[in-house]
Amino acid sequence: MNPLDQELKNALRRQEPSADFTQRVMAGLQPEPAPDSRWGEAIRNLLRFPSLRWATAAALCALLTIGGLAYRRHQQTVTQGEMARAKVMLALHITSSKLNVALRGVQRADRRDQVQDTQRSE
Amino acid sequence: MSETSSSRMEQALAQASRGDAAAFESLVREHQGMVFSLAYHFLHDRAAAEDMAQEVFLHLFRNLRSIQTPEHLKFWLRKVASHRCIDHLRGHQPQSSLDDLPEIADSKAEGDLLLEERLRRLVGSLPERARMAVVLRFQEELEYHEIAEIMEIPINTVKSNLQRALALLRGKLARCMGDVPA
Repeated sequence: MNPLDQELKNALRRQEPSADFTQRVMAGLQPEPAPDSRWGEAIRNLLRFPSLRWATAAALCALLTIGGLAYRRHQQTVTQGEMARAKVMLALHITSSKLNVALRGVQRADRRDQVQDTQRSE
Repeated sequence: MSETSSSRMEQALAQASRGDAAAFESLVREHQGMVFSLAYHFLHDRAAAEDMAQEVFLHLFRNLRSIQTPEHLKFWLRKVASHRCIDHLRGHQPQSSLDDLPEIADSKAEGDLLLEERLRRLVGSLPERARMAVVLRFQEELEYHEIAEIMEIPINTVKSNLQRALALLRGKLARCMGDVPA
C-alpha cells in the first residue's frame, strides 16, 4: 500500500455520530397514534373474553336477521303499493273511456234534436 | 465481523424484523458509525450527515423484511447511504469535474491532523461519483467489484474514477506540501 492510500485511510476512517443519535433514530420510529386507535384497542380488549365474543356474534346474527326481515317487509309493502297504484290507474282509464263514450252519445243526441227543431220551424 | 458478532447480528436482525425495537436499536448502534461516516466524508457537513444517516435507518426500519442476512444488511445500508448522498448533492450544489479541484494553501509545518483534514477537504471537492468511490474504497476498504455493485456502475468506471481521483489528489498534495506520497 502506498503512502497516499494510507493517508486516505487515516483521513477517511469511520467516526461516530453525536451521542444522542441512536435515541433520535428510535424516536423517529414511533408511529403517530391513529385517531381511532383507542376505540380499536378498547374493542380488541373486549373481544379477548370468549363470552363477549359469543355475545357479539349472537348480536350480529340477530341484527342481520332483523335487518333481513325488515328489508323483506319493506319490499312487500313497495310491491303491494305498486300493484294498488296499477289497479287505480286501470280503473281511472276504464272510467275515462266510458265517460267519453257517454259524452259522445249525448252530443250526438243534442245535434239530432237541433236538426229536428230546425226542420219543424221551417 | 467475528463469528460471534455475526450470529448476534443475525439474531438481532431476525428479532427486529418481528418488530423488536431493542433489537433494531442494536442494529443501529452497530452500523451508525459506518452510515454516518459515509455521509460525513461525502457531504463534509456533520449535521447534514446525521440527518442523512437518520433517514437511512428510518428507511431500513420500513424495509427490514427484505433484509436476509447481516452481510446483506451492510450492503443495503452502504448502497442506500451512497445513493442518497449522491442524490442529496445533485439537489444542492452544481456538479464539478475532476479538473476543477481547488488548490490548497501551502502549510508544510502543520501536522498529520491537518494533512488529514486537508485530504478530507480535497476528497470532499471531488465530483460525486469519484468521491463516493474514494470514500467506499478507503473508509470501507471495499474491492472494486463491491464498489461497482453498491454504486450500480461498471467496474471499469470505478477503476478509472479512482485512478483519476488519486492522481489528482496526489498532484494537489504534492503542490501544497512539496513532498509527494508515492
